[in-house]
Amino acid sequence: MVHILGINLPDNQLARFAFTHIYGVGHHTAHRLCARLQIHDKCKVKDLSPFQVTSLASFLSSPGTAPPLPKYPLATLNHVPPPTTVSTQELQATFLEAQKGKTIKNTDPLKNLKIESELRREVRENIAHQRMIGSYVGRRHAMHLPVRGQNTQNNAKTAKKLNRLDRHS
Amino acid sequence: MRPTLSLLKSGRSAWKGPYFVPFANLREALANHTPIYTQARACTILPNFVGVRFMVHNGRDYLPVLVTQDMVGHKLGEFSFTKKRFTYKASKNK
Repeated sequence: MVHILGINLPDNQLARFAFTHIYGVGHHTAHRLCARLQIHDKCKVKDLSPFQVTSLASFLSSPGTAPPLPKYPLATLNHVPPPTTVSTQELQATFLEAQKGKTIKNTDPLKNLKIESELRREVRENIAHQRMIGSYVGRRHAMHLPVRGQNTQNNAKTAKKLNRLDRHS
Repeated sequence: MRPTLSLLKSGRSAWKGPYFVPFANLREALANHTPIYTQARACTILPNFVGVRFMVHNGRDYLPVLVTQDMVGHKLGEFSFTKKRFTYKASKNK
């Protein structure tokens, strides 16, 4: 059992499926998390290294402030490698020189990731906004009925269970 | 009318911009507080509609909608309800 931010991840599951136990992480986001932490596809939760677990926890606690991923440009097709006589230090110096002017834009797809209580609060705020302005959506939430035109003669069980103003799941 | 999903991520193409109806009498409605009668339920509420009173058609009659700042980006039809709550009426003769 691995605990991350108070969530238990079952040991015998593949890591990319176990991550979906976190509220707000689906298959796609779980895949992106695996890519970020270099977890292979068949890796189970019990095989995660302690470093991966701690870095996952630290990333999920504040995705917005995580340092941007390093981006190393690939060589172009017509690239000619420098002669071997040039030392590594010189190559690094020229590389850093070339990179200096460029500003690193944080294109991290998980930058705006919201999980758990933060996401739940956002959902509640959206419902409260709809209710406050008095729209149809807010009214249907207040009545515990489906919002998007579904039938209500029968069923509508999920809506009756979940659609409320202080929605908690 | 489709309700608004999100201001920018609604299903509509970005190059089209939001759908709205140019109300000719908007300025005088704002000045004189006269309501604008409209059937354009799909019209997006623009920032310059704030403070205007609309009478929005719900298929049967016109319901009053006073536009506030928070409604910007939603559609007029979202505030004019088309359904009536069911109430049981006892029949006269059993």
